[in-house]
Formats: sequence, structure tokens, C-alpha cells
Amino acid sequence: MSNSNNVGIKEGISLKPSQGYLEETVPPFTPFLAIEEASRCLLCYNPLCSEGCPADTNPGDFIRAIRFRNLKGAAEIIRSNNILGGVCARICPYEKTCEAACARSGIDKPIQIGRLQRFITDYEKTTNFQALDPPKATKEKVAMIGSGPASLSAAATLAMKGYPVTIFEEKEKAGGVLSYGIVPARLPQYVVDEEIEYVTNLGVEIKLNTRVGRDISLDEIRKQGYKAILIGAGMQISKTLDVPGKKLKGVTTAVEYLAKARSKDANFNAGKHVVVIGGGDVALDCATTARLKDAESVTVLYRRTREEAPANRQELEYTESLGINFAFTLSPAVFEGENGKLTVVRANGTRSKSAMELEADTVVFAIGQQPEDFSKVIEGIGFDKNNFITSLENGTTNIPDIFVAGDIDQDSIKTVVNSVQGGKIAAQSIEEYLTKGGK
Amino acid sequence: MAKHADLSIDFLGFKCENPFFLSSSPVGSSYEMCAKFLDAGGGGVFYKTLTTTIPEECSPRFDAPRKEATPFISFKNMEQTSDKPYQDNLDMMKKLKEDYPNKLIIGSIMGMDEDNWEQMARDYTALGLDMLELNFSCPQMTYEGMGSDVGASVELIDKYVKAARRGSHLPLIAKMTPNIEKMEIPARAAIKAGAQAISTINTIKAITGMDFDNFTCLPVVNGKSSISGISGKATKPIALRFITNMAQDPELQDIPLSGIGGIETWEDAAEFLMVGASNVQFTTSVMQYGYRIVEDMISGLSIYLAEKGFDKLEDFVGIALKNIIPADDIVRDFKIQPKIDYDKCVGCGRCYISCMDGAHQAIEWDEEERKPTILEDKCVGCQLCLLVCPVYDCITPGKILFKEEDQFGKGSNTEWKEDAVNKHDVIVGKYDRP
Ligand SMILES: Cc1cc2nc3c(=O)[nH]c(=O)nc-3n(C[C@H](O)[C@H](O)[C@H](O)COP(=O)(O)OP(=O)(O)OC[C@H]3O[C@@H](n4cnc5c(N)ncnc54)[C@H](O)[C@@H]3O)c2cc1C
Ligand SMILES: Cc1cc2nc3c(=O)[nH]c(=O)nc-3n(C[C@H](O)[C@H](O)[C@H](O)COP(=O)(O)O)c2cc1C
Ligand code: SF4
Ligand code: SF4
Ligand code: SF4
Repeated sequence: MSNSNNVGIKEGISLKPSQGYLEETVPPFTPFLAIEEASRCLLCYNPLCSEGCPADTNPGDFIRAIRFRNLKGAAEIIRSNNILGGVCARICPYEKTCEAACARSGIDKPIQIGRLQRFITDYEKTTNFQALDPPKATKEKVAMIGSGPASLSAAATLAMKGYPVTIFEEKEKAGGVLSYGIVPARLPQYVVDEEIEYVTNLGVEIKLNTRVGRDISLDEIRKQGYKAILIGAGMQISKTLDVPGKKLKGVTTAVEYLAKARSKDANFNAGKHVVVIGGGDVALDCATTARLKDAESVTVLYRRTREEAPANRQELEYTESLGINFAFTLSPAVFEGENGKLTVVRANGTRSKSAMELEADTVVFAIGQQPEDFSKVIEGIGFDKNNFITSLENGTTNIPDIFVAGDIDQDSIKTVVNSVQGGKIAAQSIEEYLTKGGK
Repeated sequence: MAKHADLSIDFLGFKCENPFFLSSSPVGSSYEMCAKFLDAGGGGVFYKTLTTTIPEECSPRFDAPRKEATPFISFKNMEQTSDKPYQDNLDMMKKLKEDYPNKLIIGSIMGMDEDNWEQMARDYTALGLDMLELNFSCPQMTYEGMGSDVGASVELIDKYVKAARRGSHLPLIAKMTPNIEKMEIPARAAIKAGAQAISTINTIKAITGMDFDNFTCLPVVNGKSSISGISGKATKPIALRFITNMAQDPELQDIPLSGIGGIETWEDAAEFLMVGASNVQFTTSVMQYGYRIVEDMISGLSIYLAEKGFDKLEDFVGIALKNIIPADDIVRDFKIQPKIDYDKCVGCGRCYISCMDGAHQAIEWDEEERKPTILEDKCVGCQLCLLVCPVYDCITPGKILFKEEDQFGKGSNTEWKEDAVNKHDVIVGKYDRP
């Protein structure tokens, strides 16, 4: 007998997690459960949940549509506002967005908005429903750098308005962090692939293995007739700390570690004793990956307290339930090794004189990322000292035909849903720019 | 956006934008209210019924019984006609039609006697309204010879329709009462007397529940209460059968029907259309949820019709009538046995309880494994277990067995076989699984 209905109940901690690396943690709603959950919704007047969604996915309206058994209409509401509805349904920080705003919390607990959204995007898929029907692409050509959430969202928005869009992506797979970062337990690859297909079905072209600045230059893009260009290149560089021993074999970064785990699924070596440094969602993803890929011990070192950690609470609890150790208010002091290979991590207390020694063959820095330097790729573009591109209003930059969205935008909030919104807004600016004749 | 079908449809010569109307009741009892609904996308309104004298109302006046945690299973009201001055209402209806020329605006009348019916029809006609609805069906009027008493009397219907006809050249829609066995009889009388269409149902006389301290029914009005009309979801099955009866009545062929009773979703509305209503009206759902529900009705119905390939809503109207047949014409030579998907089963035992206590003791229960097993030779295929199982798609229709009679023919010993001599194709339904 399966446990598919025991939502949220986790098995006891065992040495080897019962869940596989590729298995999605949260089970889906059945139609009965979705309608039951939608019936819990208070159907608020001017609902706060809708205001809480950074991408205007409009949960108030789509939950109401579920309640009134208009499931396909619900899909249309989601897709027309958030092209990555199925992705966001799984990895949005709801506890800080829509669900945080839910009025039902005043009675007991918020409506499970993310799971309802996931139910609808799954339903859309299983019924082969086409929520979006794009017009012919007859307008000016638009190019995008990077195929992460920001570009995908901007591309879909423009495709729906009749613009032909080409995305240049340096990697062999599209999706950015969705394909190379977030663990499949939270976001299965098939979901990412389906949503990318959704975008390409709208007529958007994605040129893989094409790095702008290496395989194609900005001038060349302009020469090929692209009238507007969006930078959606994200943050590709992991930050590290200057810890002695940093060059030892076994010391790596989150971006590298996660990308390897995801792409070379079969022969990736997670390490036996893994230490992850950081306290955000990226750190948790590294720790979960290590654990689900059979590391014997996994320890997360974070310089502040549990309460101060920016990570999503549910994910934090889930990570803890996998048997991962957390060491708070500690910071790495030195990495020691033998024959050039990491063996020990020594950490010191940030708020006390405590010290800790950990056996480790792998250390993963997950303390933040920053963009690559774009000043040579796009000459004259405004950027700050951390390589973030300076956006003016609504995704415009100091160069008229260049726009920016997503993580690389200096002013953005670094999440998928905010990148989706950034993409939508930049798309609007691009449309305005092009309808004014490119001035 | 997905493909959406056009929802426009004709009603007595008026091209309606869509078939969704407010029924005559407080939800359409002022200019602002009607305007808000029309702005939300509604196709038209049946304005609250007027009488020339304002009735006295009681307080409280509603009850909304629950089943388990679900409120508004039905809705009881003790209201009568409009509580606003007659002339004010006339002014509001006039302005509504002027401001919304493309929406269907219908006035609802309830006269006291023939002269009053005629005069009101004349007053309404002068406003420029599209049609008139004659309210023969309010079950809680406190004046004799008004409301549902009229709807049960062929003589009164005849008199009042004729009186309204004298006062107006506009199409007349007779709103019938369900507090009667055969609605076809008064409906035919209304048409014969000069009405062009039938709308129904109005509320059903009922008691929703009792007060356990005051020993009266709900709602308690100063320690007492009355039998009065219920509407809402629970009444939909009854309303659907009345509409079907009339749509299938040979004497009412081609008489347009407007369906009312418990409509909340696009599916509810589509059900009325399928059994022959060319449009629908609703009140209780709006009282509970507001005018915005029409948005999902429009969206849901237009997506469904586009997917099914209907070009015109007209083609959908009455589409189920040929498939609703007398009980003795139903094929009874097969049974569909349910099958249990054990990967989904959570071992609650509800199917077992229902089959043991409410069906044919055809489920065996393994207490150790908490596992039900259907006994093929005992199961009659009633599918009660399928309906009670709380897990989506856990019990589904399975094997089809056909009756094979022995040499003594019908009523003799029969055997059930998958490949019996008279095996044939069977169309299997899905109940309400979305
Ligand atoms: C491990 C991890 C977990 C996360 N978890 C969550 C989460 O749970 N919820 C959430 O909301 N957010 C999460 N985030 C943040 C979220 O993924 C990002 O905010 C989001 O992906 C940013 O989108 P983007 O389009 O700006 O950039 P990216 O997703 O980074 O995509 C940028 C793309 O541009 C390509 N590119 C870069 N330069 C070039 C070039 N010169 N030429 C061609 N292509 C180029 C890259 O290869 C990449 O594919 C997480 C991030 C990480 C790293
Ligand atoms: C509070 C209330 C007042 C009503 N008043 C009228 C009325 O004035 N005239 C009328 O024809 N029907 C009246 N009705 C009946 C409704 O128009 C409708 O026929 C009935 O409620 C069934 O539809 P529903 O289930 O969608 O509510 C009233 C119903 C309610 C609930
Ligand atoms: S805030 Fe919560 S209860 Fe209110 S509409 Fe949104 S999901 Fe429903
Ligand atoms: S009712 Fe459904 S879930 Fe419960 S025991 Fe029967 S088959 Fe299993
Ligand atoms: S179909 Fe009816 S008789 Fe057969 S097992 Fe289910 S409840 Fe019992």
C-alpha cells in the first residue's frame, strides 16, 4: 500500500535516505484534494495572496476558478501571467510570498497555493490543454542572452505579442539554474523541460552551446537584424572565502557541485564527508544533493544562527529530516589536507570561542554568487563593482537596444518568480521601445 | 489565450451575448447591482419582481443548512417582492436598459388582480425593456391569489397571462413553480394564453432545519417561523428534471426555456443547456459568492465548447434530450464490476462498509492487510463502492459481464459472462471526475 496520501509525513531518519535523488519530495494533489483545498479558500475580496505573488500569477483568481470547477480557465490564468507556472509551483518561496499573505492563516493555516498551482499545471499537461495560442511572429527580431527564467519569461511575453525571439545559451541545456542548480527532489528535470518546450512551442528559438562574447559577438547579433537584446545571464560565479587551503582538491563551489550532480547523474561523486558553507537555499540544495547522492556525513556550516538563516523553513526542516548536521555561528578557519587532498575542516565560532574540527573530503562554498563581467561583451554597459548590470527603469539600461532582467539586474530580488516578473517587465519595455521605432 | 467558443445565443429574438443571467431576486434589485453584474460579463438580468404595494419583510429571513463542513447546501428565504418604491424601480430599470442596450433586460411582474397585471405590464413596456417575466411562483407571498398559488392554477395563469398581454406587446416569459407534480400542464396553459417562453424553477416549499430551543423551524422570527422556499445547489436535480420534462413535452416543442435552480459553476449551467434551456439564471450562488462567478462560467463554458467543437451554442442546447429515455428503455443485460487500484487504496474500508450495509455484501475485508477484495460472483455492479471511495480514481469501472439466460429465457437462471453470446459495446460514464 503506498503512502501517496500521507502528505508531508516523512519517514524516520535512516543512514541512507529512503528517497532517491531524482524523486520529487512533495506528492501531487489529486483532483479531489485540489477541489477540497480550493474549498478551504475564503475566496477573499481583493485577495492578498494575489498581491503577494511577485509575478502576478493571480492565485486569488485561479483558486476561485478551481473552486468553480473551471480547471482549464485556471490554467489560462496561470500561464498568461507566469509562463513558468509549473516551476514556480514547486520552488517559489511561498512562505514569503503568496502563502504569507493568505487570509486563511487567520483561521488555521494558509491555502497550499503552490500545490494547487502545481495541480493545475499538471492538469493542463495531462489534458493536453493549450492555454496559450500565440499569434504569427511578424514583428522585429529580439535576441536574449541566457536561457534562465528571466529570458524564458521575457521571450514568452514577446512571442505572445508577435515578436520572433532567439535565445543564445552557452550551455548544452536550456533553463539556467533550473537545469543546473536546483535539486531534482524539489524540481524534477522533466518539469523544466516541459516548461521550456512550452516556450519553444510559442515560437521561441533557443540556440544552445552558443556563448555570447565567444561564439557570437554583440555586433554579430545586431548585424543579424536583432533590434533589441535582453541580458538574462544570471550569476555564474560562486563567491568563496579566503581560507587557507582553499586550493586543495575537494574544495569546490555550489554552482560547480550542483551542475555536476545534475548533468553527470551516474558517475558524480558526492564525497564521503561533505561540509557545506552557507545558510541559504543554495547551501541546502548542496547538502541535500550530497545526502541523496549517498554521502555518509553532511554538515552545513553557517556563520549566524538558525533563525537568521535566509533558507526556506520548510526546506530547512526537510534537510534536517534527511539527517544532515547543522553547525550554526561557525565559520571555516582553515582547510587541511594530505597529498593535496582535503582531509579536515577547522571552523571557529563567530560569536564565541568555540572551535570545531570536521573530517571532510569535500567542501562546498555556497555563500552567494555574482555575475560574470559583461563589460567586454557589451561595451559601455553600466555595471557595479560586483558585475551586476545597472538597470534604469523597467529593465532598460544606458544603451537603448540593451535590456536586462533576472539575477544579473542590480535591482532584482534573486528568485525565479522575481526573474519571471523581471522578464515580463523588460519585455514590456522592449515592446515599447520597438513600437516607438527603436528609439 | 486558449480557444474559446462564442457564447452568444438567441432568446425570443434577442441576441444575447451569453446565456448567463441574474434571476429575479435581491441580486438584481437596483441599478447599481445589475450594472455591476453586467460589467462583470453577465448576459442580462431579470430584475427583482415588483408589486405595486411594497410588502412587509421579516428579520431574519434566511437559512443556509450545511452538510458536514459545507455551507449553503440549499438556501431558504422568506422574502417577497421588491422593498423599494414602485416608481424608483421603474426608473432604475429604464436607466439600465438605456445604459446597457446590448444586454437583455427583463422586468418581473406580480399583479394582484387582472387590472393590476395589465397596468404593470403597460408601465414596464413604456420603459423600453426587452421582455417581461410573469412571476407565478413565489411560495411565500402573504397576499392571497399571488405567487405560487397562481402557478398551480391553470385558470389563474390563463387570466393573468391574458391581462399582461393586453398591457404589453413584449415577449412574455412565465416563471413557473416547482411546487407541483407536472409542470407541463400550467406551462401549456401559459403558452396557450399568450406567453412565449417558460422560466423555472422558483423556490421549493420546504423546511431546512429546526431550532432546538424554540421548537420551530429556521430561521426563527420572534419565536416562530414558516414553511417557505428553498433554492441553491440541492435544488438543481429537481430543476433539471422539470426543464427536461418540459423540453420533452410534445406540446411545448420549440418553446424557449430559461433554466434556474442551484447554478454555481459553468458545469451546472451547461447541464441546464444540455437538457434544453437556452439560457440560465441564478441567485443563491451570487448571494454566496458575488457576481464574479460569472467570469468562470463564461471562461469554463467557452473553453469546453471550443474543445468539443461546437460552433454555435444553439447546437449544444438540448443535446442530451435524446439520451434521457424512459426507465423501461434502459439496457439491463450487463453489469460493470468495479476494480480497485491497490496502489492508490489507503485501506480505509469505506467501500467494504457501504457494500456490506448498503449493497450486496460483495466485498471481503482483510483486516490484517486492510485490503478490500471484490467478490465477482456477488457483485451486482451498482458501483456504490466507487462513489463512496474517498480516493480519486481508486475504484473505477472494470470488467463488463453480460447476462446469459438458460433455455427458459428472461427471468430464468442467468449466468454472467465476459464473452456471452449477446456481448455488445458498452459506453461507460465518468461520474463527476474532472
Ligand atoms: C542552487 C540554487 C537554488 C535556488 N533555489 C531557488 C528556489 O528554490 N526558489 C527560487 O525562487 N529561486 C531559487 N534560486 C534562484 C534562482 O534560480 C535564480 O534567481 C534564477 O534562476 C535567475 O534567473 P536568471 O534567468 O536571471 O538566471 P539563470 O537561471 O542563472 O540563467 C542564466 C543563463 O544564462 C546563461 N549565460 C550566462 N552568460 C551567458 C553568455 N555570455 N552567453 C550565453 N549564455 C549565457 C547561463 O548559462 C544560464 O543558463 C536558486 C539558485 C540556485 C543557484
Ligand atoms: C432571497 C430570494 C429572493 C427571491 N425573490 C424572487 C423574486 O422576487 N421573484 C422571483 O421571480 N424569484 C425570486 N427568487 C427566486 C429566484 O429568482 C430563483 O428562481 C431561485 O432562487 C432558484 O435559483 P437559485 O438556486 O440560483 O437561487 C428569490 C430567491 C431568493 C433566494
Ligand atoms: S488570501 Fe488565502 S483565503 Fe484569501 S483568496 Fe487568497 S488563498 Fe484564498
Ligand atoms: S474505499 Fe477506496 S481507499 Fe478505502 S479501502 Fe476501499 S478501495 Fe481502499
Ligand atoms: S458495485 Fe455495488 S455490489 Fe459491487 S462491490 Fe461495489 S457496492 Fe458492492
